[in-house]
Amino acid sequence: MPEALKAEDITVRFGGVLAVDRVSLALKPSEILGLIGPNGAGKTTLFNAITGFVPIENGRVTFFGEEVTGEPPYRRAQRGMGRTFQTERPFEELTVLENVLVPAFLKKPRRREAESLAMAMLERVGLADRAHQPALDLNLARRRRLELAKALAIQPRALFLDEVMAGLNPPALREMIGLVRSLSAEGLAILMVEHIMEAIIELSDHVIVLANGRKIAEGKPHDVISDPLVIEAYLGTD
Amino acid sequence: MIGNLFGLLLLLGAGLAYPWLLPGALTVGITILLFAGWATAWDILGGWAGQVSLGHASFVGIGAYFVAIGAMDYDLAPWWSVLLAVAAAMLLALFWGGLTFRLHGPYFTLSTIAIAEILRLIAINENWLTGGATGVFIATLPMPFGIDLFDRLTQFYLALAFALGVIGCVVALSRSRFGYQLRAVREDENSAMAAGIDPTRVKLKAFMLSSGLTAIGGGIYGMMLSFLEPHILFFLLLSVQIALTAIIGGRGTVWGPLVGAVLLVGAGEVFRTTFAEANLLIYGVLILLVILFLPSGIVGEVNRRLIRRRYARSAQG
Repeated sequence: MPEALKAEDITVRFGGVLAVDRVSLALKPSEILGLIGPNGAGKTTLFNAITGFVPIENGRVTFFGEEVTGEPPYRRAQRGMGRTFQTERPFEELTVLENVLVPAFLKKPRRREAESLAMAMLERVGLADRAHQPALDLNLARRRRLELAKALAIQPRALFLDEVMAGLNPPALREMIGLVRSLSAEGLAILMVEHIMEAIIELSDHVIVLANGRKIAEGKPHDVISDPLVIEAYLGTD
Repeated sequence: MIGNLFGLLLLLGAGLAYPWLLPGALTVGITILLFAGWATAWDILGGWAGQVSLGHASFVGIGAYFVAIGAMDYDLAPWWSVLLAVAAAMLLALFWGGLTFRLHGPYFTLSTIAIAEILRLIAINENWLTGGATGVFIATLPMPFGIDLFDRLTQFYLALAFALGVIGCVVALSRSRFGYQLRAVREDENSAMAAGIDPTRVKLKAFMLSSGLTAIGGGIYGMMLSFLEPHILFFLLLSVQIALTAIIGGRGTVWGPLVGAVLLVGAGEVFRTTFAEANLLIYGVLILLVILFLPSGIVGEVNRRLIRRRYARSAQG
């Protein structure tokens, strides 16, 4: 069984700024990989490079044994890369159900089947009772769950979560953690960028720490957070 | 869905009754129906896909000129020339879209103004083909089953069939996968891509469908005018009127463009006959009011309120 995702020597440059500097990572099927680091470390950029939303200067991305380097993001989504966005962006003119219908159509071209898939995903994230509400009206916690439902509706082989926990209150955070764990238990490979340490420690099988675009540590969550290099990156020296 | 089918039936009924009720106003009726069809076709690109075009006069002109040149120079029946016009319009849309869909927002819109300008210059300068600036006159048309295509009543029914056909397309589109792809691209291209949608491809399909349908109406318009001038057919004002009809009625709604056509063409006619010189002023003020107070158009605003009310009721009960 090949790795779900392999990223080798990913380098992203914005003008003169080296945002991601030769970072490699691997994600096994049904593994949760946490990507952490201080603000501006390049987490979201790396995440976008892997999912194809940001062009890379150097490196190689392989998804379930097939090379996807240079492919546009929609092609990678068609291959089964499901992603959420850090600033959640529902299709505001559509209802909650219709929002999930859009990605559901990818695998189910017929309306009836797409609709039942979309409804199942809404049930999964606990939004079924809001299906016919305009997406614009959802609060932050529900928008996060809608993002997740949209990512799930393409029936992905791997899930890429960009800060789905940020800004949630404690009960909503617990729910989200439970949800991610149950998705992983079903065999989805998950890469999550996250600031909330509680979620990272509880969920991740493996953690990678970025600082200034470079990988500075990786390993088991508990080992990584006690690594002096990591503490220094977060808190600064002196 | 049932509401939409009912709407189509209502339009059919109203269309069939119109010649009996207002036999003296057939030309206004044809104009309303043509604008309804054009604005609805425009809206596939401008409303559903969110790519505002100010070049749709091009496709009207292509339809009209193909019918005229086909009839006069090649002895081609209008139904064949309309088919050719549809193919030409779609090819032009494919070419233009492929060239300009990398431009976003207002830049795409500005670029579309050039299409009609280029075609207008061709129509003026290529005398041998288009009759140049003096225009081309359709003197004869075939009479299938003894039907006179110059007859206003025949043209009215053709325009009715055209409007029904285009709106029928959009009714189907509104519930289909393609319709949702269009809306997703309009709302957020990145989110659409994350859902596996290729935005450029979707926009190109919308542009081609929109331009092909517009050309059909252009063919009917050509027969109605029977004398074609490049300054009228490829005029920016016609493009603007088509876009305004859809915008005022409600972009991205099934019935908005028809409502817009009834209001703008109908009101325009009433104002012209009642207020004479002042009509353009009143017309302008009306457009301003709608844009200021109903930014999503008349039908858009009504739909929004209906959805909210329905949701509020279901949340209570």
